[in-house]
Amino acid sequence: MALFAVFQTSFLLALLSLRAYQSEVLVEPLPLTPESLNVSIDSAHQYLNLQWSVHSLAYYQELKMLFQIQISRMKTSNVIWVGNYSTVVKRDPVLHWSWKSELPLECATHFVRMRSRVDDAKIPEPRFWSNWSSWKEADAQKSLGRDPLFLFPKDKLVEEGSNVTICYMSRNQQDNISCYLEGQQIHGEQLDSNVSAFKLNKVSFIRKTGTNIFCKVDQKDVIKGIVLFVSKVLEEPKDFSCETQDFKTLTCTWDPGTDTSLPKRSSQSYTLFESFSGKKILCEHKNSCNWQVDSDSQEMYNFTLVAENALGNRSVSVLFSLTHRVHPKTPYNLFLKNVSGTKATVTWKVHPIGNYSTLLCQLDLLGEGNVIQQHNVSIKENGEYLLSELEPDTEYMARVRCADANHFWKWSGSISQKFITAEAAPSEALDVWRNVKSVSGRPTVTLFWKPLSKLHANGKILSYNVTVENLDRPSGLEVHSVPATANGTELTLDQDSYQIHVTALNSAGPSPASVIVVSGDPGNEEVEEERVNGTEDGFSVSWKPQSGKAIGYVVEWCDHPQDLPCDLQWKNLSSNTTSTVISSGAFRPGVRYNFRIYEISTERMAYLLEKKAGYLKELAPSDNPQVVVSNLTSHSFTLSWKDYSTDSQLGFIQGYYVYLRSKAEKECHPGFKKATLPDKSACCQHRIDNPEQKTFVMENLQPESVYEFLVTPYTSAGSGPLDAFTKVTTPDEYSHILIRIILPMIVCVLLIMITCYLKSQWMKEKCYPDIPDPYKSNVLSLIKSKENPHLTIMNVSDCVPDAIEVIHKPEGSKIQFLGASKSLTETEFTKPAYLYLLPAEKNYSGPGPCICFENLTYNEAAADSGSCGHFPVTPEALPGQPGPLTSPENLLKALEKNYMNSLGETAAGEASLNYVSQLASQMSGDKDSLPANPPEPVLCSEYKMQMAIPLGLASPPPAENSGLSSTTPLDQSEHYR
Amino acid sequence: MGEDGETRPPSRSLPILSTGDSWGMLACLCTVLWHLPAVPALNRTGDPGPGPSIQKTYDLTRYLEHQLRSLAGTYLNYLGPPFNEPDFNPPRLGAETLPRATVNLDVWRSLNDKLRLTQNYEAYSHLLCYLRGLNRQAATAELRRSLAHFCTSLQGLLGSIAGVMAALGYPLPQPLPGTEPTWAPGPAHSDFLQKMDDFWLLKELQTWLWRSAKDFNRLKKKMQTPAAAVTLHLEAHGF
Repeated sequence: MALFAVFQTSFLLALLSLRAYQSEVLVEPLPLTPESLNVSIDSAHQYLNLQWSVHSLAYYQELKMLFQIQISRMKTSNVIWVGNYSTVVKRDPVLHWSWKSELPLECATHFVRMRSRVDDAKIPEPRFWSNWSSWKEADAQKSLGRDPLFLFPKDKLVEEGSNVTICYMSRNQQDNISCYLEGQQIHGEQLDSNVSAFKLNKVSFIRKTGTNIFCKVDQKDVIKGIVLFVSKVLEEPKDFSCETQDFKTLTCTWDPGTDTSLPKRSSQSYTLFESFSGKKILCEHKNSCNWQVDSDSQEMYNFTLVAENALGNRSVSVLFSLTHRVHPKTPYNLFLKNVSGTKATVTWKVHPIGNYSTLLCQLDLLGEGNVIQQHNVSIKENGEYLLSELEPDTEYMARVRCADANHFWKWSGSISQKFITAEAAPSEALDVWRNVKSVSGRPTVTLFWKPLSKLHANGKILSYNVTVENLDRPSGLEVHSVPATANGTELTLDQDSYQIHVTALNSAGPSPASVIVVSGDPGNEEVEEERVNGTEDGFSVSWKPQSGKAIGYVVEWCDHPQDLPCDLQWKNLSSNTTSTVISSGAFRPGVRYNFRIYEISTERMAYLLEKKAGYLKELAPSDNPQVVVSNLTSHSFTLSWKDYSTDSQLGFIQGYYVYLRSKAEKECHPGFKKATLPDKSACCQHRIDNPEQKTFVMENLQPESVYEFLVTPYTSAGSGPLDAFTKVTTPDEYSHILIRIILPMIVCVLLIMITCYLKSQWMKEKCYPDIPDPYKSNVLSLIKSKENPHLTIMNVSDCVPDAIEVIHKPEGSKIQFLGASKSLTETEFTKPAYLYLLPAEKNYSGPGPCICFENLTYNEAAADSGSCGHFPVTPEALPGQPGPLTSPENLLKALEKNYMNSLGETAAGEASLNYVSQLASQMSGDKDSLPANPPEPVLCSEYKMQMAIPLGLASPPPAENSGLSSTTPLDQSEHYR
Repeated sequence: MGEDGETRPPSRSLPILSTGDSWGMLACLCTVLWHLPAVPALNRTGDPGPGPSIQKTYDLTRYLEHQLRSLAGTYLNYLGPPFNEPDFNPPRLGAETLPRATVNLDVWRSLNDKLRLTQNYEAYSHLLCYLRGLNRQAATAELRRSLAHFCTSLQGLLGSIAGVMAALGYPLPQPLPGTEPTWAPGPAHSDFLQKMDDFWLLKELQTWLWRSAKDFNRLKKKMQTPAAAVTLHLEAHGF
C-alpha cells in the first residue's frame, strides 16, 4: 500500500507538471490534421480504402483521436456520407479505414476528406477539430477503357434478401439505353447525364446460374450484362449432437439446412472444432462427421461446428461427457425357445461397449400390435428372459432394444421375433340353448351354441361333441360329433327327459361340458303376451320369478323375425336377475320382436315364464286393409275389412280411421269430424278406437250421391297412407221399384220373342200363311155361325168365270200357270196383260199367262200384302166412279197405260201373283196413295169370284180403303168388324 | 456481317429453342442406328464406295439437328433470360474463337470437296472440344447427361466425316501443336460473357449442322451422278 501511495503521488505530480506544460504549448490547436490522405478503390468488394497519417505526435507515445470523414459523390459538394472514426494513434502512424459503397464505385467519382480531433483524456478540454484535409478524388472510370457502355458491379455474389445497387455508365450521352432484369425492362434513377443506378431490394434466388441483368444501346450492336449470383441464406446447423457406439469413434450429426452451392462456388463447408483438445477437422459430409476418440483420458468434449461459405459462417456448439453419449448397437440373435401354451423363453445378444459397461435392455411382448408386457433386463452381453402369462395359440412378437444402463442417452435399434404359443384345451363351456318343437308328433330339439371366443378356444376347434342321456329310462349315452363349422345340431327324441352335454374339442382336449335338460313336454306355452317398449339402447325386459328355485334365466328372441331361419338369439342371466336390456345391432324400427323369458330350473330344464312383444320404434302402418262394401242402399252401406298378420304390422294397431268425403255433403255426419288430408282437401274422419272392430256402417247418406271412403289403421306413430279413396255411389230411392216392374216385363217380352222365333213356322201357318185355307178362315166360321149358316166355300170348278185378269208377261215362256203363285212372284216379267175371260169375248185366245182367283175373304188381306194396294189405277177408276170400269177395254187401256207409265219407275225382278177382282180394282185405285207408294208392277191378275156377299163385307167403305197404304199395319180386328 | 458479303444465318435464328418433334427424332434416330453399321468410319470391312457413307453422314447431321433443338432448349433455360428468349440475338463478342459456319455464297460454291470436308471436320473438332468444356461446367446432373450424350453423337459425326474423307482418299487435317482449343474463360471473362459464349456455341453448332446437311447433300448428289453437272442452288437466307 505504501508503495502504491508513493506511486500515486508521483503520478499526480507528473500529471500536474504535464498540464502546466500543455498550457504553454497548446495555446494554439494541435497540428494533427490528417496528412497524406490517399484514396484507392477495391472494385471486387466495392471498398474505398483510405490511408493517411498523423504527424506531430512528438510528445505522446499514443493518443486517442477522432477522425471525421466526409464522402461526396460526383462533386465535392454532394456529400453522401459523414462519419467518425475513433482510434488510438501511435507515433508516426499510418492509418487505414475503408468504406463500403452501395453504388458500384466505377459509376461515379467519389471525393473524400477528413479532419481530426484529439479525443484523449490526457488532453484537457476544450478540444478542437483540425482543419479539413483537401478533397481526394477516387475515380475508377479512368481505367475503364473506351467501351461505349459499362455495367457494374461485375458478377456479384449476394445472399438472398440483400439489397443490391446496379449502375450503368455510357460514354455517349445521346445513346438511348434500356436495361433488363430477367428479360423485364427496369428503370433506374439517373445519377448523372450518363450514369443511372437501379436498386434491387431483397433479391431472391432464381436459379443457380444467377440472375441475368443486361443493358443495350438502342440501334447499336452494344450489349453489356452482368450475372447477379444470389445464394441461399446459410443456416445454422440444426439438431447437432454427438454419440459413440464403442468408445472409439464419436459420430456427430446435424441437419445442414439449405444447400447454398452455386456454379463455380462451392457449397458451405463444415468444420468441427474441439476446444479441450484444440483439434479441428474438416468434415467430409454435409451432415455428419466422425471424430476419433484417442484414449480414455478425455471425458469431456466441447465441440463447435462451423458452417461457412463465401458470404459468411454460422456455428453451433455442444458440451458433453463421453459416457453420457453412448448409443448401443442393435441387439442380435434374438430367439425364442421352450414355447408352451403360456410360457416362452427369449434370448438375445448385444455388442459389448467397454469393459465395465452394463446395458439395460427393454423386452416388449406385443400382441396384435399392442405392447402387452414390458420387462427391463440388465445384461453384459447375453440376455435371457422367461415370458409367462401368455395365452395359448396366440401370435406374439418379442422385441428387444438396449441402452446404457448408467447414463441413458438413446435406445439402440430394435430387433424383434414373432412366435405362436401352443394350443390348450378350451377354457370355457359352450353357451348352449335349445328350441323344442314337434315334428310328426316327435319332439325335435334343435341345439344352438355360440362359438367360443379366441380367448377361450385356446386353439383351433376341431369338432363339437353332443352327448345325449335319457333321464327317464337309463340307457347308454348317445354321442354325436358335430363338425367345427356348425353352430348347432338337431336331435329327434321321444317324450322322455334328456340331459344333453355339449363340449368343444381342439387338439389339446375338450372344453368343460355345457349341460341342458330337455323334455318332450313343451310345458306351459299359454302365457299371455305383454308389450315391451323399445328404446335406443334396446328392449328393457323384466320378469317376475315364479318358483324361486331358478338357477338362471334365458331371454330368447329372433334378430330377424320375418326371415327363415329367424336367427335365434338368447341371453343367459343369473338367478338373481329379473330384468335386462336386450340390444342387438340387428334391431330395426317397425319390426315386431317377440321375447320369451325362460326360467332354468335346478334340473337345468327351461320353463317358459313370460312372453313379450315390442317394437324398437313403432312406425305408421305402411298400407291399408282391403275394405269390402256391402249392404249398399240409398242411404247407407257397410264397410268391412280383415285383420293384418301380426308380424307385418309396423306397430301396435290402436284403431282405425274411417275417412268419408262427398261433394254433395258439406257437413260431416254425426260421429265424424272434419279433417284435412295431406293434399289440403277436406273430408270427414271417424275414429275407431277398438282395433278389433273390423266393420263400420255408413249411414244417413244421400241417394244417388258419390261418396269416397278410406279406412286406415293407426299406431302410436301415426296412421296409414291417405291416398287411395274408394268411390261408392248410393242408388236411387225408386230404382228398386222400377227394377221390380221393368225387369219382369223385359223377361216376358224376351220370352215371347224367343217363343215367336222358335215357333215362327207355326205362327206363320196360323197367322199369315202363304196360301190361306178358306176352310180355316175365321171369317167363314164367323159368317157361318152368326149370319148365314148355309154358306159354304165355293169350289173353283163350280163357278163360271166371267172374266179373268191376266198379267201378261212378254217372256211368256217362263210364265207358269195355276198353282204357282209363289214361283210366279219370283219370275221376271216386264209387261202384264189383262184378259177378259168371258166366253162371249171374241178376242179370247186361250189361257193367259197368269190366272188368279179372287177370294173375297182375302180381298183386304191382298190389299194389305202391298201388291194390291199399289195397283196402278187411273183416276177414273176411283171408287164411286164405276162408269169407266164397266167397259173392259177402257179398263184395260187405262190399266195398261198406267202400268206402262209406272213400269219405268218400278224395279224389275219383283213379281207376284195377286188375286184381282173388279171390285178390287175399284177399291185399290187410290189416287192419294200413288205419290206415297210408287206404282209397282202388276204382279198377278186377280180373278174375282162371282158370289153374293153382303155389301158391307164385300166392299169396305171407300173412306177406309182410301187410307190404306203398303206400310199401314192391317189390324185384324178391323177386317172383321 | 451483311456488309462483309457473308450471308446471315436464317432469320429464324433460334429454332433450336423450340421443342423438337419427339417422333421425328425417334424416327431419325432409328434410321441412323439402322445405318450406322454401314458407315465406313465404323465399318470398314466392305468397300461400298463413298455414296452410302455420305448418305449416312447426311442422316446423322439431320439427327443431330433434332437432338440439338432439345438440348439447346434445356441449356438456354438453364442460363435464364434473355438467353432463352426467341428474339435474343446478341453480338458475337467473346466467341471469336468459335469456327464460323456462315460463309459467303460464292466462296462456298468455290470450295472443292476436300476443302469442304476438311472445314467440316475442323469445325466439329473444335465445337466438340468446346462442348465438352460446357459439359464440365454444367451444374445439374441431368444437363450433364444430355450434353454427354450429344457429345457422343457429335463424336460419331466426326468419325463419319473422317470415314467419308478416307473413302474419297482425302487425308485428315492434322491439328497444329499448341492450338488445341479450350473453353476455359480468362480471368477477365465475366459470367455474363461466358453465358454469351455458351449461347453462341450452341448457335454456331446449329448453323454448322445446317451447313453440313447442305454440304453432304451436295456431295451425295455429286457422287450419285458423277457425270452430270449438278448445281446446288443455295437460298440467300441459307448461309
